[in-house]
Amino acid sequence: MKRQFLFDGRPVPFDEGQTILQAARAAGHYIPHLCWHPDFPPHGSCKLCTVKVGGRHVSSCAFPAREGMEVESDTPEINAERRALLQMLFVEGNHFCPGCEKSGNCQLQALAYDLEMTTPRFPHFYPDRPVDASHPDVLLDFNRCIFCELCVRASREVDGKNVFALGGRGLGKHLVVNAETGRLADTTLAADDLAANICPVGVILKKRVGFAVPIGERTYDAEPIHVHAMERDT
Amino acid sequence: MTEPSAQEKRPEPARLRIATASLAGCFGCHMSLLDIDERIFELAAKVEFDRSPLTDIKHCGPCDIGLIEGGVCNAENVHVLREFRRNCKTLVAVGACAINGGLPAQRNHLDVGACLQEVYCYREGLDGAGVPDDPELPLLLDKVRPIHEVVRVDYFLPGCPPSGDAIWKFLSDLVAGRTPRLPYALMHFD
Amino acid sequence: MSEHLQPTVQQDGLRRVAIDPVSRVEGHGKVTLLLDADGEVCEARLHIVEFRGFEVFVQGRPYWEVPVIVQRLCGICPVSHHLAACKALDHVVGAAPVPASADRLRRLMHYGQILQSHALHFFHLASPDLLFGFDAEPARRNILAVAAAYPEIARQGVMLRKFGQEVIRATAGKRIHGTGAVPGGMNRHLAPADHALLLAGIDEVLTWCRGAVELVRRLHDADAAFYDSFGTVASGFMSLVGEGGGLEFYDGTLRFRDADGQIVRDGVADRDYHRVLREAVKPWSYMKFPYLAERGPEQGWYKVGPLARVQNCDFIPTPLAESERRAFLDYGGGRPLHAPLAYHWARMIEMLHAAELIRDLLEDPALLAGPLTAAGPRASEGVGVIEAPRGTLIHHYRVGEDDLVTMCNLIVSTTHNNEAMNAAVRAVARQTVSKQTLTEAALNSIEVAIRAFDPCLSCATHALGRMPLELALVGADGALIERVLRD
Repeated sequence: MKRQFLFDGRPVPFDEGQTILQAARAAGHYIPHLCWHPDFPPHGSCKLCTVKVGGRHVSSCAFPAREGMEVESDTPEINAERRALLQMLFVEGNHFCPGCEKSGNCQLQALAYDLEMTTPRFPHFYPDRPVDASHPDVLLDFNRCIFCELCVRASREVDGKNVFALGGRGLGKHLVVNAETGRLADTTLAADDLAANICPVGVILKKRVGFAVPIGERTYDAEPIHVHAMERDT
Repeated sequence: MTEPSAQEKRPEPARLRIATASLAGCFGCHMSLLDIDERIFELAAKVEFDRSPLTDIKHCGPCDIGLIEGGVCNAENVHVLREFRRNCKTLVAVGACAINGGLPAQRNHLDVGACLQEVYCYREGLDGAGVPDDPELPLLLDKVRPIHEVVRVDYFLPGCPPSGDAIWKFLSDLVAGRTPRLPYALMHFD
Repeated sequence: MSEHLQPTVQQDGLRRVAIDPVSRVEGHGKVTLLLDADGEVCEARLHIVEFRGFEVFVQGRPYWEVPVIVQRLCGICPVSHHLAACKALDHVVGAAPVPASADRLRRLMHYGQILQSHALHFFHLASPDLLFGFDAEPARRNILAVAAAYPEIARQGVMLRKFGQEVIRATAGKRIHGTGAVPGGMNRHLAPADHALLLAGIDEVLTWCRGAVELVRRLHDADAAFYDSFGTVASGFMSLVGEGGGLEFYDGTLRFRDADGQIVRDGVADRDYHRVLREAVKPWSYMKFPYLAERGPEQGWYKVGPLARVQNCDFIPTPLAESERRAFLDYGGGRPLHAPLAYHWARMIEMLHAAELIRDLLEDPALLAGPLTAAGPRASEGVGVIEAPRGTLIHHYRVGEDDLVTMCNLIVSTTHNNEAMNAAVRAVARQTVSKQTLTEAALNSIEVAIRAFDPCLSCATHALGRMPLELALVGADGALIERVLRD
């Protein structure tokens, strides 16, 4: 018999070496996440996948499943904490959904809908982050970066190009382009690279196609991310 | 047979009083309130409007619900917002601008003086170029702010604008004494 | 006018009267009056006191965001900004003209917008003044009181606006601030279900529109002398006209007439607007004052919107509205009508025209199928001119090779009417305030004049959020003489 743990009171089987998030997903249970991606090792930075195990908060994307553990995920307490994390992400950047072409397809926005975040609550930073439009096919709008490093990892580990990196620390943390000029045009990034197509928010965008998908047909128009994520990227 | 007079004597259920205002917004949220279409007549039977889309009143008295559209971009906005907070038991930030400044907040990383100069001094085809500076014009703030950074806000109704259905659901909840809650289909930031 | 007067309390011997705010749409407005010792109005000004800086922060954004961003200028007629921006950017992406389907869908969206905005303006905003009188009890001057007194009129107004909003939803994805149009075309066809819905409703809408023209005509006739003189100041007209000089809302060339109705400029292409127009900046308003350059700021200002369009064109290309236009011209007896209150009549004729256009368009199969976008050689600049519900709207952009906007200039309808509204305010102030006791009705009459031009300035003061008005007479020494409050 497979080993199992309790996820929100329901038994979830797991294989040795599986994380809580992996095992829960395999059993059909969604845990919110932004920096986690099924094709990459856990990163553990966004903390949206936080669950409570034995009274401790752990990142479910990185925490190995163990026999008999009791995991709390979809609870008012944990969801309130996730909501606070989202609120901090919203005020740190410039997330103006009404003018953003990623609206309707954005994971940050979709999670905010799902977790019923109606306000960013904290004071806004309104940082000054100019866009990089130097590349002929790809636009970088740093205003919306949530530092998930999916583009960094995709470029380094899949595309083999190492185009992106995070620079600075704390408040000064920012996405940088690995070129002497710091401009995307001076890298080898191509529009069909994985790095150019993996951004969960509206930072890395194909040029000249914004708003091509009508309202009503966008990814999260019809179904919430907790349904969509389980159908798609398992 | 019911005596019609008996019915007339029964005290009317207390109708809630609602006030609304647009600060640095586009009036889209007020338009969306009208997008409840013919339900406006139904709503009017349940609430009274005070400084509102629907009814003129002589004096702005205390209200049960205040709906604020738009962010705070000048001194006058601050004034109006504080007046609303003083008068409304429940204050609601309606729409993206009231909630996070909205698109007008995209001017926040710019110097407002430089903005004004660009539009009023350096454009082609201008006569008498100069930034309007009459005392009749309220002072601009350096940044557009969400209303919750200026006063306490009780509820937030997101959307740009929230749809007529979202506004209807929200107000129906409030009027019925429920905590307002939007189902997924009515939850939008755009 | 007495332009040398400064609207400040320091002005020697003059009393300042403020109506603040007049409204809160697309900029907050207020009126200040300066009165001399005899109570005569020396100066009256409509100030636009808000600055939102769209023209500046659009610069540096990618061009495809622009149609979605700029419509947030106005929640009442977002479609106008959405489409004017797209028309300008069509030139940038080399897609002018756009494919037939895109053209028809955009027109449908735009006509829906004209219909809903005109219905809103007349029924929700203006009708209480016209049905109950300017001096009616303030508590009655709203759409709900109209609903109580004239339930069928109020219901038709609400349902007309609903239909227009549904046309917009069906073409833009949502009623306010949708995404239907993109530079180079559209992102959707009309869904068959929406097509059926609109077809099912259009005949009743046409009937209501005909009734609305009748109603406003009756109101006008009932007090013709007053309607014709109230706040009336002669001026030129500007609007787009279409092929052969017909009334045109979506695309065409600019035509100017003088106050006598003579054409003084015609056939001006959208990209040449800056060759014929200049804008004056005045220190007391964030709204500029455009004028026809060749006639100068004193003679060159003009009116835009329904009153200008209906009289500037040579014909209306749909039969019912054309017959109403002829009746309107007959009423003028060969002279152009300049009365602000005649705007309402012209507006209802246009609403009828929009309904006829929608009915005809719904027969067009291009709404349901066919290519939606086009592309061609890039250009670095584009101008889009459209007739918004309340007048000519100009969008002008330059776009760099990196796809970012480098320049944005917008002249919105309200701005074109700036001088016209100020002239009407001055005229009404002299008619109703000069040497008289301040009354609430006098206050309202100043607003009525503004309201006639522009729903964006009347919304907040009327059916859409009645903002408190305070009219205070302050003596030259700063002491309060008289105060009239209306909440």
